[in-house]
Amino acid sequence: MADSVSNDLSNSVTNSPKPLMYLEDVWKSFGSLEVLKGVSFAFPEGKTTAIVGPSGTGKSVLLKHLVGLLEPDRGKVMVFGTDMAQASEREKFAVRRRMGMLFQDGALFDSMTVGENIEFPLVHHQKELSRDQRRARVAEVLEQVELPGLEDRPTSALSGGQRKRVGLARAIVTRPEVILFDEPNSGLDPITSDAIDALISSMQARLGITFIVISHDIVGTVNVADYIGMLYGGSLIEYGPTEDVLRSENDIVRRFLHRNLELPHETGAGARLPGLERWRDK
Amino acid sequence: MEWLATLGRFGLFAGRVARRLIHPSWRLGDFTQQLYLVTTRCLGPVIAVTLPFGMVIALQGLQIFAMFGSEHLLASLVSVTVIRELSPVLASVLVAAQGGSAFAAELGSMRIKEEIDATEVMAVDGIAYHVVPRVLAVTLACPMLNLVGSIAGIAGAFITAVVFRGEQAGVFMAQLWAFTQPSDLWGSLLKTAIFGVIIGLISCYHGYNASGGAAGVGKAVNETVVYSVLAFITANYFLTTALFGQSS
Amino acid sequence: MSAVRRWLFSLGRFALFCGDFLKAAIRQPPPPGATMAEAYRIGIRSMPILLIISAFVGTNLSLQGYYAFKPLGGQSLVGMFVALAGVRELAPIIAASMIAAKAGTEMASQIAVMRIQQQIDALEVMAVNPHWYLITPRLLGIVLVMPALTTIAMYVMVAAAYVVGVYQLGLNGAEFLEFAVQAADTRDLFYGGLKAMIFGVIICMVSCYNGFYSGHGARGVGTATNTAVVTAAVTCVVLNYFISEMVYG
Repeated sequence: MADSVSNDLSNSVTNSPKPLMYLEDVWKSFGSLEVLKGVSFAFPEGKTTAIVGPSGTGKSVLLKHLVGLLEPDRGKVMVFGTDMAQASEREKFAVRRRMGMLFQDGALFDSMTVGENIEFPLVHHQKELSRDQRRARVAEVLEQVELPGLEDRPTSALSGGQRKRVGLARAIVTRPEVILFDEPNSGLDPITSDAIDALISSMQARLGITFIVISHDIVGTVNVADYIGMLYGGSLIEYGPTEDVLRSENDIVRRFLHRNLELPHETGAGARLPGLERWRDK
Repeated sequence: MEWLATLGRFGLFAGRVARRLIHPSWRLGDFTQQLYLVTTRCLGPVIAVTLPFGMVIALQGLQIFAMFGSEHLLASLVSVTVIRELSPVLASVLVAAQGGSAFAAELGSMRIKEEIDATEVMAVDGIAYHVVPRVLAVTLACPMLNLVGSIAGIAGAFITAVVFRGEQAGVFMAQLWAFTQPSDLWGSLLKTAIFGVIIGLISCYHGYNASGGAAGVGKAVNETVVYSVLAFITANYFLTTALFGQSS
Repeated sequence: MSAVRRWLFSLGRFALFCGDFLKAAIRQPPPPGATMAEAYRIGIRSMPILLIISAFVGTNLSLQGYYAFKPLGGQSLVGMFVALAGVRELAPIIAASMIAAKAGTEMASQIAVMRIQQQIDALEVMAVNPHWYLITPRLLGIVLVMPALTTIAMYVMVAAAYVVGVYQLGLNGAEFLEFAVQAADTRDLFYGGLKAMIFGVIICMVSCYNGFYSGHGARGVGTATNTAVVTAAVTCVVLNYFISEMVYG
């Protein structure tokens, strides 16, 4: 029964207006474990799309396909018109230069300072820039992630929230067309988590580029996402604009969302949570 | 003078291990399991190192003896060198690199993941439970591996001398024991037992006191191998002088 | 048989790893500044250990040579024995073992930590080839430094053997040196340096390979480091026999 739902979804997904990137019927197994079963997913340009689901449903695996760190057993992974499933190393590298990614723990290089970490992509891909131009750009992005003046701090001295911000700064420094976020809220306390959500929203508004967020944190996702897709058991069981997903009839989706949110047409305490404000105003 | 402090801490650690040894607070089963693990892990590498080295010693040795026309003496040179020095040192280096670093890696990751703390909170002595069996195991395993290494080294020399260079097998075997004495064997067994204690204590010390996450475990392994080898190579000099100085 | 299969799989993956590295390294010059930094780190930080160990190996060469040759009346040959065994065989292997133990384990654990913290994935996503970025400076650094370290080991070994021979065993110093020089000459220094470079390549590639494919967590880092040093050391010793056979046989 879930399969026919996914088929409908697949069609609506790949026919969505202007998908910059999309997966088409992607299958991936690790040994005998089937992680992705015929997943089709589109990422509309200029919007924030979130992929949610319980732990272990293959969200990170899906993300890795988008950047070409994994290849599917079957199916297409189209990014900027290139099929990452078939691309050569060189083609993949060309695609990656137009993307930025924030890894779960930042994946910063511990032997370097904050400034050196952030300018790393510039050093390797924008060799025409002078040292001063690089420093200026680094200062600029540090302002944008609200960590001004931290260029010379050693990476090992950063807190969890700071690492995420520096990771984000590194992801945007080359002015990519797409940014991917792997669990941006993981390991953060609620206050810092909200701050990161606010940062992501404001960056989206300011840069107007495509964001893709993987998360198991529902509240944060509702705050930032325009579109939500839910993965469950390796299949896509729900997809659509955020408001529609919140109104979903799907049992599993409702159970997943219900844990943290007051869903519509339920009386009671209502808008305790910031995400619902946004929804309610639409 | 930071190293002096470290030396002091190590000494205290060694003392704690020694005290726990006397109490029956460690388990025989753990000891035999560790003995099995160390022996099986190190056997291959020890042979893989002592055999080629025996071959190389024979290779070079024949060159000297050929100058004096006394190739038949090769066997005795080989047996004496291999049994007294080469096999103990090489086998111990491999035991440190393979067995010792395994101890450091295991204990280190247990420390990092707070498993050792958990053991102590459950009122089980971490040192008795984790460290003593390992130290005992390597103390026993090292001489045994040394024995295997000696055999492999001599076999290697045999291969080079007899199979490749056409020396006479009979002469080789006859001369093999011409200059070796039982004290050579006991001496090298004693040496390697002491090396084993050194390797065990140093590797467990580094693992037990690892800190700094996964990188700390890597560092513990690194330091274990380096300091174990340093320690027993230095000890080797003094032991050799003491043990073999009398026997010629 | 599964152990054999696993071993073959590792060997194949190692070959691919080296191939990937060569493909990446050939296309562009090494990352700027990194090579010298690595050479310095590998060379300087391994020096004290190497000196001490070479010295004590030299002392024992002297001792054992003496005990071995004395019954044959050949004490004077000790110098020759030390030079032959020490310079030709032991010095390159001692240097290789110590570099594997110090620099090799550092390479393995650094890269393993990067792997488990997704820093290698991050490099790939930032379109920087991790093979090129991580390995090239280390390989160049070690190859530059190994011959020098091996030569130093040779000299220290002979010097320590001399000291023990003359002051502890009462040998004739001039005789010792005379026989030593007979047995080992510049040709041996050259071959020793050559061996050293080959060992350096092995140590670097094996250590980096193990770090690259490290398992998860702290345990993975420890195992990667452990495997690196043992594999590198054993490979060098086995290769040493074949090189010696070719050169001196």
